[in-house]
Amino acid sequence: MQNFSYHAPATLGEACALMAEAPDRSRFLAGGSDLHLALEHHAGPVDTVIDLKRIAGLEGIEETPGGGWRIGALTRMAALERHQGLRAALPALCAAAAVVGGPPIRNRATLGGNLCNASPAADTATPLLAFGAQVEVSGGGVPGSNASRTLALEALWAGPRSTTLRPEEVLTAVVIPPPPTGGGANESTANESTAHGNAFARLTRSAMDIALVNAAASLTLDGSGRLASLTVALGAVGATVLSVPGTDALLGRPVDEALLEDIGKMAETAAQPITDVRASAEYRREMAGVMAMRAVGWAAAPAKGDTP
Amino acid sequence: MSAPRKIPLSMTVNGALREALVEPRTSLLTFLREHCALPGAKRGCEEGECGACVVLLEGQPVTTCLIFAVEAEGHKLTTIEGLGQPAHLAPIQQAFLETAASQCGFCIPGMLLSAHALLKAESQPDEARIRQALSGNLCRCTGYDRIVKAVKLAADLQYGHR
Repeated sequence: MQNFSYHAPATLGEACALMAEAPDRSRFLAGGSDLHLALEHHAGPVDTVIDLKRIAGLEGIEETPGGGWRIGALTRMAALERHQGLRAALPALCAAAAVVGGPPIRNRATLGGNLCNASPAADTATPLLAFGAQVEVSGGGVPGSNASRTLALEALWAGPRSTTLRPEEVLTAVVIPPPPTGGGANESTANESTAHGNAFARLTRSAMDIALVNAAASLTLDGSGRLASLTVALGAVGATVLSVPGTDALLGRPVDEALLEDIGKMAETAAQPITDVRASAEYRREMAGVMAMRAVGWAAAPAKGDTP
Repeated sequence: MSAPRKIPLSMTVNGALREALVEPRTSLLTFLREHCALPGAKRGCEEGECGACVVLLEGQPVTTCLIFAVEAEGHKLTTIEGLGQPAHLAPIQQAFLETAASQCGFCIPGMLLSAHALLKAESQPDEARIRQALSGNLCRCTGYDRIVKAVKLAADLQYGHR
């Protein structure tokens, strides 16, 4: 392990200022499950590690008015996995958090770390993209940096293991909007009978493995069981986690076999997989369709009142 | 850039205050094994996969190979040395003994601590839950069936189900 100096500042301002001093040779540290391995194997020379865990206010899960959620960046996977309110409202996110590494990893790994590590196979990223999540980012008041800003989650990633953040910027929270009402012109009546559902599907060879493909779906059904909103996201089949485009064309249809077949085809078309040690591009493309079909089917089951 | 300095560190391990001057790159595993002379946590994969190095940090199982010792400043840790003593075994240890759930023994400190944390939170985990809670601890002897039986027995011992 290379040697470095360690800082555990108490404020975001101090953390960002430290990073701004030598951004090329410094790293932020959250849960550490990715950073330790990076420092050992592939990060290049690092002189300074800046631990964010002593900064107050970066951890926690809260429901926002209207049924949205705000999750602090340092919230652990284990906390997401166990949170009762979140399990009821956003089972796709809890299911994703529950398969990151094993339990000892999930007691350390953080949501912000999972997103900023920018792996296209990051499990929590896929449901968050399906929810239309945003991320809050702060430059900590460092001169010349952004004070604090909010960006769409998909704008966080530049490519595999690369984000669009300025070096001194820290992701501080993830904001998940309330589920769409899907009510159209007559929102007030639609609201009473609409139902929301979301689900996460994942393909791996073994429990601790990284996803070969994952998919998440978030949908709304109107009172007659027809799609009033639908978003589908795919992981590990592109340079970043990606959304399946064109799902609006499916609105108004019931979630039946024909619809799932169409979702599968759309997901296969949207996927841009590569061949690597885990799977071939052809296999990943086909499985992207299967995972998308499962995620949509599972998301619709509780929304329709079925037992998933 | 000044040369990295050693950092004074203090944490509570098995109820005792431990202090040392460590390089920031020192892993928590190395700190426990070499500075504290507590070799119960094992050096396995050193990538967070195998769970041989698991200890409890504030009661939760963590892989100490992926934590720098300095990150644990001020925290409370429990290693296998703090779980029970030969004359006063913890229920989970007694159950592993009665079930003969240990083969080579390398994974057992981590297994015991993960199982102990599970049984602190839940009194009657079923087999699926036990297997899930131990999914971060690999047994290279593949003796999982007896390990699961031992955790069930420990729940009985600990919560008086029998």
